[in-house]
Amino acid sequence: MQPPSRSERSPTTALLLGLVITLAVVVAYSAYIRVQLAGLRKLQSDMVDRGRKDSLQLLRLQNDLNTIALAMRDMLDAGEPYPLIAWSAQFERVRGDLDSALRLEEQYTEVHRTPEQRAYLSQQLFQFWDAVDRMFGLARDGKDSEARDQIRLSLQARQAALGTAVSRLLVENNEGEQQAAGQIAKIYDGVQRQLYIFLTAALIAIALTSLYLIRSNRQIFARLATLSEQRSDLAQKLIATQESTLRHISRELHDEFGQVLTAIGSLLSRVEKQVPQGAPLREDLQEVREIAQSTLNNIRTLSQALHPVLLDEQGLESTLDWYIPTVEHQTGLKLHYEKSGAAFPLDGNAGVQVYRVLQEALNNVKRHAGAQEAWIRLQFDEDAISLEVEDHGRGFAPDARHQGIGLVGMRERAELVGGTLQIVRREGGGTIVRLVVPMEKVEAHGG
Amino acid sequence: MNRRDFLSRYGKAGLLSLTIPRRLTATSAAPTFRLVDVTQHAGIQFQHNSGAYGGKLLPETLGSGCAFLDYDADGWQDILLTNGMEWPGHKRQRSTLRLYKNNRNGTFADVTKAAGLDVEMYGMGVAVGDYNNDGFPDILVTCVGQNRLFRNTGKGTFLDVTRASGLSARQAFSTSALWFDYDRDGLLDLFVCNYVRWSPEHDVFCSLDGKHKSFCTPEAYRGDTCWLFHNRGDGTFEDVTATSGIFDSSSKSLGVAMLDYDQDGWPDLLVANDTQPNKLYKNLRNGKFKDVAVEAGLAFSTEGKARAGMGVDAADFENSGKPGIAITNFDNEMIGLYRAASPGTYDDISIAAGVGLPSKNTLGFGCSFLDLDLDGALDLAVANGHIEETVRNIHGNVGYAQPPQLFLNLGAGKFQDVTANVDGGFAEPKVGRGLAYGDFDRDGDLDILLTTNNGPAYLYRNDQLAGNRSVRFRLVGAKSNRDAIGAIVRIFYNGQSQSRMVKGGSSYLSQSELPVTFGLGKRDKIERMQIEWPSGAKEEFKDLAAGQSYQCTENKGITPMAGF
Repeated sequence: MQPPSRSERSPTTALLLGLVITLAVVVAYSAYIRVQLAGLRKLQSDMVDRGRKDSLQLLRLQNDLNTIALAMRDMLDAGEPYPLIAWSAQFERVRGDLDSALRLEEQYTEVHRTPEQRAYLSQQLFQFWDAVDRMFGLARDGKDSEARDQIRLSLQARQAALGTAVSRLLVENNEGEQQAAGQIAKIYDGVQRQLYIFLTAALIAIALTSLYLIRSNRQIFARLATLSEQRSDLAQKLIATQESTLRHISRELHDEFGQVLTAIGSLLSRVEKQVPQGAPLREDLQEVREIAQSTLNNIRTLSQALHPVLLDEQGLESTLDWYIPTVEHQTGLKLHYEKSGAAFPLDGNAGVQVYRVLQEALNNVKRHAGAQEAWIRLQFDEDAISLEVEDHGRGFAPDARHQGIGLVGMRERAELVGGTLQIVRREGGGTIVRLVVPMEKVEAHGG
Repeated sequence: MNRRDFLSRYGKAGLLSLTIPRRLTATSAAPTFRLVDVTQHAGIQFQHNSGAYGGKLLPETLGSGCAFLDYDADGWQDILLTNGMEWPGHKRQRSTLRLYKNNRNGTFADVTKAAGLDVEMYGMGVAVGDYNNDGFPDILVTCVGQNRLFRNTGKGTFLDVTRASGLSARQAFSTSALWFDYDRDGLLDLFVCNYVRWSPEHDVFCSLDGKHKSFCTPEAYRGDTCWLFHNRGDGTFEDVTATSGIFDSSSKSLGVAMLDYDQDGWPDLLVANDTQPNKLYKNLRNGKFKDVAVEAGLAFSTEGKARAGMGVDAADFENSGKPGIAITNFDNEMIGLYRAASPGTYDDISIAAGVGLPSKNTLGFGCSFLDLDLDGALDLAVANGHIEETVRNIHGNVGYAQPPQLFLNLGAGKFQDVTANVDGGFAEPKVGRGLAYGDFDRDGDLDILLTTNNGPAYLYRNDQLAGNRSVRFRLVGAKSNRDAIGAIVRIFYNGQSQSRMVKGGSSYLSQSELPVTFGLGKRDKIERMQIEWPSGAKEEFKDLAAGQSYQCTENKGITPMAGF
């Protein structure tokens, strides 16, 4: 036996290798992405998120400072009917909001600013509120004019300085955000580049594996087709050889032994006539003649069973007319035989195959179906001849994995004459074996 | 959707449909009431005059208010409609507010002149309250310029006591106002909203195209403080704005509602500000207030933005015993609908409740919680209309005239906009501004009065179609202020309860009637009724029949009236 060629080797190893390579690429890329994402998250939480939250608080501070500026403008408005102390509640509200904003702002800037930087804003605000308290102290004492001077000379300037400080911090935050944005963009570029490489590698791996798989599949299918063809040829040759052998034996039995026994019978009749009536020899001769006749009958039956001469001489219909009562007699099955359609002659080969299928089907009915009756239908259509054998027995499911030689034989015979064989389960129990042979196939095989 | 999702979703829906209260499914169909436009039939021939001559002055956009009041104390609700006037130098016609006396047959008679109210002023809002406790409601009309206080003589006439009362010391661009007794001394005090510092002489030029003048947004002007005037009891008022902590020169206020948000028995105030944070003034019980709107979650929208608050109302729409809140806003800002979440905080449930999205393209002004279908749950009525006539050129889906809206309360925190299904012409687009309710025909349900900018006023009569019933209470204070403003009435039946506050103000530039109405569905009685008087006294009455009004006088019991 030759070792399998390179093209016939199993593709499993190569496929596994492809899978391992693909998985390795995915794992490597996932690890890379994980590292990059961790870096990105850190950058975002450390720089961007904190910066944004800090900016929001700075904007809140700026808004509060603007509100204070507007209030101070109103306080200096000579047309205001209210004393300056009326604004104290408004200032208290703003103060509460400013303190809250400053507390939050300091939390977000722990990382980025020095303690001195952080202290600056709170000190400035402390001094501002101290001045505000003193201004309202004057207002409470009815010294609105002096309080207004305080606003003009001190508070407005302090408010402006605080506004500038907050604006500067906002600008710093903005610059920080821009730097962070630059770093983030770099990370995204790197990830994008790696993504393209990964995708290319994965695509190449998938394409190579797929091409290899397609090629292997093609080879496997081609080999399967060849094997199938070889097997079919072999089966058909076997059938042809079997038929030829059986026909030969049948002929020999019929022609040689039949004639010899017929001659022996004739001779014995003649000798018997020469022996006087009542002589013991005459009885013996008669007995021998009957034995010879019985042997002749058996020979003929065997010959017909092996290969009905009728098939070759009178065709399928006549053969079935003879065969079916014979089987009925031999097996005890009750057979219902129907013929329909305009009969046409079949060539010997086709007739034999139909006959053999019938034989095997009836054999199955007897052996496996457990039925006492069977229905045989032979139908001649314009374009095909069909044979159906139906029983109402246990039925059996044709299992591709465990088909007996009988079923395989029936299928091969059907294929031999270009027909189809169906074995179907009958509703209500039983089996129908249906053979259909197209007309042109019969003619093609005729001759 | 795969089969599992389908089964899961619709299976749950199927289960839900078994557990949803029957009222919800019933009201999802056609409303069980009709709002019939009876303006003409009732004889309300009013035309608002904004004074518009092409100068595009800011007050021209704001419209005017309306009120249901019983000025002659005959038990029938009369109508007052404020009006603007021509601008100096552009006089073409004379226009004044209008007082319509209820003829008790579905019609009204214009008694403006006879009542002595035939006075020209650029009127904006109206607040009605018996500040001198004489049994006849007095009227404050807020104005651009000098507000006017009219004392009711009790003889069908009014006297202008602005100067004598001391209110003439303050002039501004006033909008909504309300009477309430913040110090619980039995005398009604006055709260007035001011919008921005504006006068015709200091009008700012604003333009959308750089050439033609357009209306300015409030950002173009400085804010102005609201005012609180303490009633001295001698017919004069003291300005306690500064000492009470109300003073805030940044406010741009348009609407005010009273409520007891912290359930301490002292009236608090919610002020809707335009482009500025809303204010919730908590009554500190010592004559001072503290703004707690930020802590309460009412100052800003859920996005942290100060919206353009216009009208406001507060009422127990969940029947939880605690007042919820509605604030109308500019288009694209949605109505803010807030439910009381303990303690002292509010959640905006507008979108989840089905009020947010239907109000996204409307500009709301007047708004009131009222039980239109008398099913026992407060519904929400809103007057809509834009300020800019050419708005459709800018936002194609927003019109100048807009349909008012009725949101029926379906229970379980859900509302449904049923405007289109209400017969009677209510859904016709209008440039709506003021909105008030009252039972002018004394049939036990609440009718609606609606004003439009530079247009007519509308009176819609509520006709019940399903036979739902109600019970109404008219409260008369003795130790408390005579109008019993600030009193809380609670009713109990079948393990359920409802509550109402007798209140002035709310909505926008307007005031609804003082008697309180409870819808009862098909019930024919209530088990208990409690009154928490502003004086602190509590009273309880049992087994009251539905289908009629009761007069409750503080510490003197309850008197059933013949019908409503």
